[in-house]
Amino acid sequence: MNNRKIKFSEIFLNGSVFLSTFLSVLALGLIFFYVISRGTDLISWELFTGNYHARNYIAEFADLEEKTYTMPDFSGDEEVYIVSRYGIALKQDFDLAGNGVIKVHYVHPQSPFNQMYSKEVGSDVVDLDAGMIFQRISYIDHPTSLSRNGAERFASELNDPQREVFEIFFSDLGGGIRGSIITTLYLIFMTLIIAVPFGVLTAIFFNEFSSNNWMTKLMRNFIETLTGVPSIIYGLLGITVFVPLTIRLTPAVNSNLIAGALTLSVIILPTIIRTTEESLRVVPDDHRAASLALGANKTQTTFKVVLPQALPGILTATFLGIGRIIGESAALIFVLGAAVKDRINIYEPSTSLAVHIWSMMTDEPANIALSSTIALLILAIVLIINVSVKLSVYLLSKKGL
Amino acid sequence: MKGSKTSLSQIDTIIGSLLMILALVASSFIVIIATFIAIRGILPFITDNNGLGSVNVLQFLTDTVWLRGTYFISTAYGAGFIIINTLYIAFLTVLMSFPIGVLTALFIAKVAPRPLAAAMRTIIELLASIPSIVFGLVGVGLFLPLIYQLARSLGYSSGAGSSVLATVFVLSLMSIPTITAVAEVSIRQVDESLEHASLALGATPTQTRFKITLLAAKSGIFSGAILAVGRSLGEATAVSLVSGNARSGPSFGLFETTATITSTLLQGLKETSGIDYDIRFSLGILLMVVILTTNFALNFIKRKVGNVHE
Amino acid sequence: MIMNKVIDTQSLSLRYGEFTALTDINLPIFRNKVTALIGPSGCGKSTFLRCLNRMNDLIDNVKLEGTILFNGQAVEGVNADVIELRKKIGMVFQKPNPFPMSIFDNVAYGPRQQGIKNKEVLRGIVEKALRQAALYDEVKDRMNQSATRLSGGQQQRLCIARALAMEPEVLLMDEPTSALDPLATQRIEELIEDLKKEYTIVIVTHSMQQAARISDHTAFFLLGELIEFGLTSDIFANPKDKRTEAYITGRFG
Repeated sequence: MNNRKIKFSEIFLNGSVFLSTFLSVLALGLIFFYVISRGTDLISWELFTGNYHARNYIAEFADLEEKTYTMPDFSGDEEVYIVSRYGIALKQDFDLAGNGVIKVHYVHPQSPFNQMYSKEVGSDVVDLDAGMIFQRISYIDHPTSLSRNGAERFASELNDPQREVFEIFFSDLGGGIRGSIITTLYLIFMTLIIAVPFGVLTAIFFNEFSSNNWMTKLMRNFIETLTGVPSIIYGLLGITVFVPLTIRLTPAVNSNLIAGALTLSVIILPTIIRTTEESLRVVPDDHRAASLALGANKTQTTFKVVLPQALPGILTATFLGIGRIIGESAALIFVLGAAVKDRINIYEPSTSLAVHIWSMMTDEPANIALSSTIALLILAIVLIINVSVKLSVYLLSKKGL
Repeated sequence: MKGSKTSLSQIDTIIGSLLMILALVASSFIVIIATFIAIRGILPFITDNNGLGSVNVLQFLTDTVWLRGTYFISTAYGAGFIIINTLYIAFLTVLMSFPIGVLTALFIAKVAPRPLAAAMRTIIELLASIPSIVFGLVGVGLFLPLIYQLARSLGYSSGAGSSVLATVFVLSLMSIPTITAVAEVSIRQVDESLEHASLALGATPTQTRFKITLLAAKSGIFSGAILAVGRSLGEATAVSLVSGNARSGPSFGLFETTATITSTLLQGLKETSGIDYDIRFSLGILLMVVILTTNFALNFIKRKVGNVHE
Repeated sequence: MIMNKVIDTQSLSLRYGEFTALTDINLPIFRNKVTALIGPSGCGKSTFLRCLNRMNDLIDNVKLEGTILFNGQAVEGVNADVIELRKKIGMVFQKPNPFPMSIFDNVAYGPRQQGIKNKEVLRGIVEKALRQAALYDEVKDRMNQSATRLSGGQQQRLCIARALAMEPEVLLMDEPTSALDPLATQRIEELIEDLKKEYTIVIVTHSMQQAARISDHTAFFLLGELIEFGLTSDIFANPKDKRTEAYITGRFG
């Protein structure tokens, strides 16, 4: 009787352990599955190098020489239409938001679509490149070809010898994330430049120069408290302290990348201090004593003997910092805003990759496809960072033996 | 010789003082944060906000509508329901993620064969480092449609799935790796001889794990939960994507839209100014107070519960 | 010498991977007697003790050969009910290891795991066990206090009480006094003297004096072998083996 009860509770308890583990693994597996399944479609070189905001062009042919171009064979590609009259090929395709567009598939080197006269102020010659989007083409005495009528009709109208092209409206594809990548790299670089020396020197003070009294204890506590502060609060710090400060000291007139980097520096500072201190602590005291006994002073001992041995730890701290910078969103939304930019200037606002996702997800409609692609990129970087930290710790522990 | 020695130790003194200045700056950030946010956050209550009148503290703390009316006025801001929502959501999150996280830790530390345990440990660490915006994205893409369907089939209406439930799901997903990682370490550190003593008394391995191992690791497990609560309370971007950003409440129904302190802080940030902007600092103070109070309370409970038999 | 064997081992050998920890041990444990296992560190005496309630199962790569008989029945083999065995063979460890619970809950732990929930029954069991362990009078007013706040000696007696609460036939003690002060050790030794009226006790000890004081039989182990087994008085007065004599007279160990 009792035994059966115990058996039953055994099954229940074990079952709850297995169920919980299954749920964790399932839920967390879902994240990867979702991001990977949604994010891989858009990955292309243009995504990383392209502008986010599509730029529009209006142009006309410079000098038109009627001839028939020999075109490559596109019969294997679906929905590709050749305009042999001008030496281009069009493709019915989709943009990053999933709308149907007519994409330029191929441009012959001698095509008149190269070296067109721009009708915009300030620029004279423009090229049509593969990957660009046709908006419309207007003809003299004929109705305009519209992109919404589809690539097939667009191509046949353009190929019609009766029609003479008057104006060509086209644009970049847009939806590229080059700007956000550059912003993220700027932020990583500037933040590390500020936070790593700052953090390492502070750690040196605590571990090598200070005595353990109430004041250093209090200071350590204050720094440790920073780790519990949510990142959105750092955003408030950024707009009240760092944005006004940078506006006063630099050409910036608004929120800017320098203020963003300063804010991120405060965020990663506690991690860098703690990790560096941990690696300073494991340097054997014998080494310090030996150096001091040779007549070196504390400064020389610290920087020549102790610090080099702590370098791996500092490297780990730097990696962890990079991970945090890449992932940070809330604080940067406050300090940098959420407007995606293509031309990056450190005195102006722009978005990091994480904020780029937030910006698109709060737009109407949310661009889940591109967000997932950026998320995939972020996950890949975080994965690489984690693996390298693990690997370096493993290699060092091996070397230590 | 003597001269050079003095100068060497002088260098030490100088370097030491320089380093101390840096350390002082590093430790002053928390003070700077507290001071500046406190000052800016109090302003809406004590100034007339460019003619709009000052905000009433009591109304701010107790009212159940955020941004009443169509334009910015000093009486438009009530955060009472937001505080309740924030605590309610954190509570539900712990309720959901704590058992799952701890039992997963138990599996990794005590049940799984060694290679599997090592693999799972690495995966959990990796998951704990995934940025929150990714969780928010998955929440929008995966949970919102599911919850929308679920709510509809149960006869509830939900704003495109944005709801208390979606928020709790996303926050739980973020909390589980934290709880598991911390709990796993403390479970692994449990003195083996306690477990042996239990086994020697004829208890089964399962009974030993639940009655002795978890009990002995209690303090560490609790710390993990406190960390997770802190993260849930402070999480902003992911929550703002799935909460529905309700402007009144409190919302207790699982399918109702909701708003937390952090999501309200972010709401409409792209286009705002004046009092509507300044009041966000008041929410910042509120967030800090809520986090500190919760932390203090949980640590107090931990000490009460943890110390009894240690 | 017709006595009742509770436990009997027959050509018992044990290996951890490549390392042989015990070789061909034939050792009887007699009812209501105290059997002391002595020998230098690493001689296998603790390993042997842990074979008796199969605590060695917890270690990977352990390979056991030979037979262990408990009340005439073989206990080896994967199918034998380890749980049932451990209920009947209690164990006390080297360092006092009370659970982080109250004194009452510590002693009640074993019975509770067997599904006993009735408060009155539990109280009876706990009181009886604590009395047997000579701890009742010291703790009767603070049963709900944390066990970890007791002194080391009290903690060890609590661990004994915890084992007794299961009403075992045999009590295994693995150097139970090695972490205690002399006064606490003396109390435990007196307790062992009392307990043997009802229980069979196997004790591993590092102290020959302790073995001589409290045990009826003594087994001397060396390098995983049982060198000599017999009445304690015989072993200490005139050891048959040179190595036993060398150990007892303090020439190694």
